[in-house]
Amino acid sequence: MRTLLKVLAVLLLLAGCSAPGHREGGPVTLRFQSLAWQQESVAANRELVEEWNATHTDVKVEYVQGSWDSVHDQLLTSFEGGEAPDVVHDASDDLADFAYGGYLADLRGLLPGRLKSDIPSSSWGTATFGTGVYGVPFLQEPRVLIANSDRLRAAKVRIPTPGHPWSWEEFRQVARRLSGPGRYGVAWPLKEPVSATLNLSLSAGGRLFHRDADGKTVVRFTDGDAVVPRTLHDQVAVDHSAPASTLGSGGADTLPGFFAGRYAMVPLGFSYRQQIVQQAPEGFHWEVLPAPAGAAGLIQGVSPQTLSVSADCPHKKEAVAFIDFLLRPRNMVRLALGDWMLPTGTRALKDPALHTTKYGWATGTALAARLRPAPAQSVRGYPEWKDKVATPAYQEYYSGAIGLAELRSRLEDDGNLVLARYQR
Amino acid sequence: MTSVAGAEASATAARRPAGARTAGHGAWFLVLPALVPILLISAGPLLYGILLAFTDAQSGRTGTTRWIGALNFQDLLHDTLFWESFRIGLVWAVGVTVPQFLLALGLALLLDQDLRLRGLARALAIVPWAMPEVVVGIMWRLVYNPDAGVLNETLRDLGLGDGRDWLSGLATALPAVIVVGVWAGLPQTTVALLAGLQNVPRELHEAAAVDGAGAWRRFRAVTWPALRPVALAVTALNLIWNLNSFALVYVLTSGGPGGKTRLPMLFAYEEAFRYGQFGYAAAMGCVLVAVVSVLLAVFLAGRLRGGDAT
Amino acid sequence: MRPRRAARAGQYAALLAYLVFLAFPLLWLLSTALKSPRELGSLHPAWIPRHPTLANVRQAFDEQPLAHAALNSLLVAVATAVVAVVIATPTAYVMARQRTRLARAATGWVVVSQAFPFVLVIIPLFLVLKGLRLIDSLTGLVLVYVVWALPFALWMLTGHVRAVPAELEEAAAVDGAGRVRTLVSVTAPLLAPGIAATALFAFVTAWNEFFFALVLLKSPGKQTLPVVLTHFIGAEGVADLGPLAAAAFLATLPSVAVFALLQRRITGGLLAGAVKS
Repeated sequence: MRTLLKVLAVLLLLAGCSAPGHREGGPVTLRFQSLAWQQESVAANRELVEEWNATHTDVKVEYVQGSWDSVHDQLLTSFEGGEAPDVVHDASDDLADFAYGGYLADLRGLLPGRLKSDIPSSSWGTATFGTGVYGVPFLQEPRVLIANSDRLRAAKVRIPTPGHPWSWEEFRQVARRLSGPGRYGVAWPLKEPVSATLNLSLSAGGRLFHRDADGKTVVRFTDGDAVVPRTLHDQVAVDHSAPASTLGSGGADTLPGFFAGRYAMVPLGFSYRQQIVQQAPEGFHWEVLPAPAGAAGLIQGVSPQTLSVSADCPHKKEAVAFIDFLLRPRNMVRLALGDWMLPTGTRALKDPALHTTKYGWATGTALAARLRPAPAQSVRGYPEWKDKVATPAYQEYYSGAIGLAELRSRLEDDGNLVLARYQR
Repeated sequence: MTSVAGAEASATAARRPAGARTAGHGAWFLVLPALVPILLISAGPLLYGILLAFTDAQSGRTGTTRWIGALNFQDLLHDTLFWESFRIGLVWAVGVTVPQFLLALGLALLLDQDLRLRGLARALAIVPWAMPEVVVGIMWRLVYNPDAGVLNETLRDLGLGDGRDWLSGLATALPAVIVVGVWAGLPQTTVALLAGLQNVPRELHEAAAVDGAGAWRRFRAVTWPALRPVALAVTALNLIWNLNSFALVYVLTSGGPGGKTRLPMLFAYEEAFRYGQFGYAAAMGCVLVAVVSVLLAVFLAGRLRGGDAT
Repeated sequence: MRPRRAARAGQYAALLAYLVFLAFPLLWLLSTALKSPRELGSLHPAWIPRHPTLANVRQAFDEQPLAHAALNSLLVAVATAVVAVVIATPTAYVMARQRTRLARAATGWVVVSQAFPFVLVIIPLFLVLKGLRLIDSLTGLVLVYVVWALPFALWMLTGHVRAVPAELEEAAAVDGAGRVRTLVSVTAPLLAPGIAATALFAFVTAWNEFFFALVLLKSPGKQTLPVVLTHFIGAEGVADLGPLAAAAFLATLPSVAVFALLQRRITGGLLAGAVKS
């Protein structure tokens, strides 16, 4: 009996330790799970939460630090387990399953008019699933070319601008000119090859996902979808202007080689500038160039970061009010600067801090109007298609293991099998 | 993870009759505290899991769960990705277990000798066992790092080329991960074999040496017969554990590049907790259980035979 | 005598190779932990950091809630060790002293459970714990860990109980001591070292465990050390190698310390009590 009692006592003690402290009455408490990870960005988020708490005694917001790493798994099991945060920070390409699964609140009737009109409808499109709106898109980043200025000047290539970008063919030539023994014109960090390829392919008119007459989404790999993959493939396999060794790397892994002058250009998300500023050796000159343009012009797909409200949240109005506060133009600018990204709000985007030429801010801001919703994000089953079919297919194509025909058949045949399971 | 040696010693213990039989009336009561959580947390979920495999259970609150019979298993039969993952799992399990056994045998034989540095080697051989698997994974990521890693740097120093991105190369990822698996499991196996070596009759060894038998003959004739039951048990258990392993590969590659290191465990985890397909994932679990059961049967049969032999 | 000496040399060479294979990743971890970001960014990493720094440790603690995670891990590991031992000791006693069908079934289960793919268990377990509202709770995790540690604890303790000669207990009984007094004054003291060793093993198992913690703990504030460590690896290749190495190194220390305590038991044919009854 003593044993049992002891066990019970220990368990009860533990239960006492871990019981959530916010279930008693009194003021409303909201848990806000932020995925901010750069120091400045965490600071900006925390400051904003403090400012909110200082002015709203009846609604307390508790800052919870999340992590981009495997956020999807974490959120899925949190929602399933009934332990999800009230205000959820995520990215629009991750929301589809949560929205269709009934975990997120439809914000249509809750959003204030100011926020609705401030954010352009193309951005709202990224968070609209079916007829509902399940998140507020607030930060986004174009993929840009970060380039070693000295090597560009030395090779005397034309410097592209958002008004007059390189074409994909021109980009290929430039990369060739910038290469030499032990040196490469460009290094593609393609650990996540699918989103990079699909987003850039929009510029060449590739959409990959098409809606059939019966309303079902299918994959069709057209000529427009082949332009970007073929350029990358040929840079590695034909021109040798891009190394094969970085194809599996994450963006940050290419920076040492970039600083050492081994790579002249690296296509990276706009926010990588922060790491470059932090780590670049003294006397290293770099600049931001727009990505190449194709038949469809200088556009690219993007999946903005979003703020959503959990369907289980008992205080949805308060949660939306907090989101509205976070995304006031001035605050949106602070969040954007903290993350080295672009805000979606049109008023925030006009802030002079985002138009300086320093660190390439102006180049990125000039691209804001060219950003479109990423092609596939509202397709059900897209995550599984991406992980299981598309990622290996693109990786094998880029590394030269398979050809374009095999890539096409894998994306279409295997891919449509997966998508069909979600559209029965 | 702690029980390679466990299996070995329980094999020893099973051969010994229990000391006394002081029958107690409170026996059931004493066993209860252990029995209840086991039924609740281990046996119960197991049965529940088997049932789930016959439903279309999914995450989300918009659909209802229905019985769908063997449809999941039928889907599984056609799921080439799963069978590819299964093949990778077998390559991984065998690829880790066999070198692990050979290396551990060598180390155990060395440690059984009267060598200097033996103490250091014993201490060092324990560390990988003690380390959290996550840390082992992180550590080897640092070793394999294409730019800041020691492996490529050493290759460059030796003039063996520019090195490569080991963990994300399609051809190198699985071998690279297997090396880590061998490293991480070496201690348990070594310790178990070392324990097994204590069973080797010294006199026989010395007698054979006097008769002029060479090292290899002595190993074949004296050491191996005594070690065989332990070796068999350890290998079977290692094979099963390696089939079940998760954390190492999760940290090292998350199953990438392109699924080349996606072990069945990882596959099932993703299916359940990333894509929310609970029923389908449970069906995968059932298949894994079936395979492991076969291995387990082999292990038990081997253990029984080993028990008779000595 | 020549061939013998050659054989010895060969043995030493082999042992040295083993030492290098076992030690070099550990040393590299330590080396990376002590390097500055600039040095880590250089293309030619050196074994010995040029300017050893402890800044990584600070940064690691700044970036992720490491201290809090360590506390969670400690709480879970201690609770697991205590509960597992408290539950397992009486059962092990019964298993060792009685040859009932129950004891045999328990032994069988101990073997089988070692081999079970926990992937089949985790999905329903998740749903069961959800029903009990024990998802995202350290209590729930302890419960799982206890059951997870039980087979091994039972097996170890059974061996230790067997090592206590039943004749001693019988003698005490003949002397008129009651059953409880026999257990407390005769058996328990002899069993204490075994119980301590079992508790330490359970502690390390729980401290190191990753899979269940990954699935069952959701709030960042409740996650244990291994889970938080994986966050350092971060999204698309955003890895701060220095702090990652520093944190990983620190997280290993408790387990290694416990194993050092247990080393004699482990290497000496493992768990003397179990083998030599």
